[in-house]
Amino acid sequence: MRRRIVPYFLLGPGTIWLVVFFVIPLYYMAKLSLESGVVGSLEFNWHWANYSEALSAYDTQFVRSFYYAGAATLLALLISYPLAYAIAFKAGRWRNLMLFAVVAPFFTTYLIRTIAWETILSDESPVTEFLHTIGLAPSGHILATGPAVIAGLTYNFLPFMILPIYASLERIDVRLIEAAKDLYSSAGQAFWRVTLPLSAPGIVAGTLLTFIPAAGDYVNAQFLGGAGNRMIGNVIQSLYLSQADYPSAAALSFVLMALIMIAVVVYIRFAGSEALMGEEAR
Amino acid sequence: MSESRGTRAWRWLREHAVNIVAALVVVYLLLPIAVILLFSFNNPQGRYNYTWVGFTLDHWAHAFSRPELNEALVTSLKLALLATAVSTIVGTMMALALVRHKFRGRRLANFLIVIPMATPEVVMGAALLSFFLIIGTFSLGFETLLIAHVMFCISFVVVVVRSRLIGFDRSLEEAARDLGADPFETFRLVTLPLIMPGIFGAAMLAFALSIDDFVISNFNSGTTVTFPLYIYGASQRGIPVEVNVIAMILFSVTVAAMGFATWQQRRAEKMASVRPEQEEAPMMPMPGTAAAQ
Amino acid sequence: MVSSENKQRRSAAVVAVLVAMATLALGLAACGGSSGIEGGGGEEREAPQVKLEGKPSGSLTISNWPLYIDKGTVPAFEKATGVKVNYIEDINSNEEFFNKMQPLLAKGESGGRSIFVLADYMVVKMHKLGYLQEFDKSGLQEVENNLVESLRSPQFDPNRDWTVPWQSGMTGIIVNKEKAPDVHSICDLFNPKYKGKVDFLNEVREAVPLVMKCEGVDPNQATEADWMKAIEKIKGAAESGQIRRFTGNDYARDLTSGDAVAVMGWSGDAVQLQADNPNLEWRMPTEGCMLWSEDMVIPVGAPNPTAAQAWMNFVYKPEIQANIAEYVNYVTPVEGVKEILAKREPALAENQLIFPSASFTKKCSGTPVLEGEEEQKVIKAFDAVLNG
Repeated sequence: MRRRIVPYFLLGPGTIWLVVFFVIPLYYMAKLSLESGVVGSLEFNWHWANYSEALSAYDTQFVRSFYYAGAATLLALLISYPLAYAIAFKAGRWRNLMLFAVVAPFFTTYLIRTIAWETILSDESPVTEFLHTIGLAPSGHILATGPAVIAGLTYNFLPFMILPIYASLERIDVRLIEAAKDLYSSAGQAFWRVTLPLSAPGIVAGTLLTFIPAAGDYVNAQFLGGAGNRMIGNVIQSLYLSQADYPSAAALSFVLMALIMIAVVVYIRFAGSEALMGEEAR
Repeated sequence: MSESRGTRAWRWLREHAVNIVAALVVVYLLLPIAVILLFSFNNPQGRYNYTWVGFTLDHWAHAFSRPELNEALVTSLKLALLATAVSTIVGTMMALALVRHKFRGRRLANFLIVIPMATPEVVMGAALLSFFLIIGTFSLGFETLLIAHVMFCISFVVVVVRSRLIGFDRSLEEAARDLGADPFETFRLVTLPLIMPGIFGAAMLAFALSIDDFVISNFNSGTTVTFPLYIYGASQRGIPVEVNVIAMILFSVTVAAMGFATWQQRRAEKMASVRPEQEEAPMMPMPGTAAAQ
Repeated sequence: MVSSENKQRRSAAVVAVLVAMATLALGLAACGGSSGIEGGGGEEREAPQVKLEGKPSGSLTISNWPLYIDKGTVPAFEKATGVKVNYIEDINSNEEFFNKMQPLLAKGESGGRSIFVLADYMVVKMHKLGYLQEFDKSGLQEVENNLVESLRSPQFDPNRDWTVPWQSGMTGIIVNKEKAPDVHSICDLFNPKYKGKVDFLNEVREAVPLVMKCEGVDPNQATEADWMKAIEKIKGAAESGQIRRFTGNDYARDLTSGDAVAVMGWSGDAVQLQADNPNLEWRMPTEGCMLWSEDMVIPVGAPNPTAAQAWMNFVYKPEIQANIAEYVNYVTPVEGVKEILAKREPALAENQLIFPSASFTKKCSGTPVLEGEEEQKVIKAFDAVLNG
């Protein structure tokens, strides 16, 4: 009998905490999203208009957020894959050190890192001037534009892309690649036909772990963006903390979650779901 | 067969292309850190630390001279320690249940753990705020921050500990059992010490997540100020150089702690013979297995 | 494989756990509500009175904006009265501070603070909601004696029963003399020559009235249509890339790093900015500026209101105020400071930013009143522009 309840006992505290402080707040936020009125006298009255207003008033920001997050995810993928590959296959003894070097920068505070990018990308910095000379920054300034926000998002979510890809690359049995080469494929073909598909679970996990938080981010847009670069996270933050328009903010949050869920489901269907939930003990 | 210089150079490039790109990426990764470090030695005349003025060690010497910054830092540390303690214990228990036992609702539990990791922070912070505002029992401040931090740390702890448990060689436990130990003793004397590196790693991750958290804290802090919140407030009026100094100190301490943890992990691994194929990727750098070299 | 008996036991356990969780959840749902943000409506409460209790003692917590006081005043007060002061610079935005405090104030608590310093319009809002206490004027002699004539009887608090001005200021333009020498008016901020190098303020009661002035409208006589027209103009400038970004204090960052050459800015920042870059200067726009005040108020539930009033009194002593004025460089509300500073630092006494003459500010306007539905519409429209 004791054996039977042990898992529930172990699971209990954590589950209760998550239910009470994650699931239930979502319920309350749902309740708020259907209220109307002024702070101090909000009334629950199935005010679905909050949702329609949210969607219509902020559709530009939604599109922009998904665009920025998507671009950042793609860039992160392009940057991370070679690095993960190098660490998994070419680093040998230096593997741990490299992983360390990759993860370590993210031990500085998120805000300070982003503000450091403000300095690096400022109009008069050597980096911006260099990029301007090679033609990548036609208007002469990068900060306070969309690309700056995308650059910030890419940087800040890099470890979430690198580590899953590395993990799945590391698991690949090297003999499979050798076998492919033995069968006369070139290095390039071996990569496309063997390595890349085997690393797919890592790519899927990495893109999801990057895209989802990036879509809801607001710090990068606030520090690195200018007028016209605000993301939906900024709107939610301003509605909650500056305007105290809690019903609209709550409705907006749910719309964001719903849109992300839809995007994720479509993506998983398309890419095939694997290794997302984690392995279970045999 | 002699190759032309051009072909040789091209071949060298192709062979090392990946390494070159990787090196460039590492430079990219370290660039902001270099900037933060550089500006911690800056000597600005006014309030703003955005343009290089001159070199000074003053701010390093007096890193803790600002009472408000210190208070925010202390608050963050207290919060992180408490949140880590609670979430590590609770999360480890959950991981043990999920990996070692079969039971009804396991799928649901798995789901429950993954969902917070997949929710944008702004939504989590906002939901918690709505909750606290409506029920009104908790006053916004340290208590609500603690609740929030434990909440988002649990999922990460579970994932890390779980991945450690999966590759765990049960034969050692069986051996202990054969030698007459009861389940409790086995757990205490065999299992726990062997998964300790994983637990420690998870604790470190939770600590890092908590001390760095901005978005969720911004929504739920009331008037309490944590280190990231202090920076956010100061960013409006000019961030003092001491902030850079403290950020570098935190960074160095965390790097050192991680190095220590990885070294411990390696030692434990040699004792527990973890099977490489069954490892899942945690968020921490894992030592490469000896076999794959 | 599992016997039906075991299955039953297991289901029972699951049900037990679920029931426990549900009960817990319902329990939480039941409590609270009245002290939260929901409820029937805000009733107008009688403003509580401060009750003085002899000599000030104990400790005092003050919330103020950052960099709004010199380093010597707090220690001087502590020495003179024996009161321990906890001076926190946690106000960065009127709205954000209000939103943070609102749940507490609604319950009659002040979060341990005895004094807030907030803009005129925000203290009016708080007063209407019943969140502020009225003073016992017998404890504010220095204020009575030294408050400047022009601030004695504002429309919103004709007898200064619940506000005491902390500092006043002017919102105009700050330019980089070298890079934008020809910017002298709000309208000049729209000059395409400086596209992408101009910052506007994100405060609706400052940015929009300034643009209204550029259009020739008096902000204090403006209709809702005037507000919307000005917001439209700002929107156009944002969309075309003319406006780099909307900022609070952080315009200073852009100015110092050279990312911006002309911004809407506050008079008190000028001297500080010049330390970073001597080319920066505050200019009175040709259309005039916006004048504003920030006031000290005592919230409901404030601990130790006696010490709070003692503080207010203390900072109205001209010698003390002179120190503050010298550091913050805003417009001081206390008589007699000019003479004191004239002896110490004549340049400061002549500084129009600290002691503006009537002619200097003749075209300036006070903060316009925005209330009720008009306020909601204007704020919504402006926020839509801010959020891009």
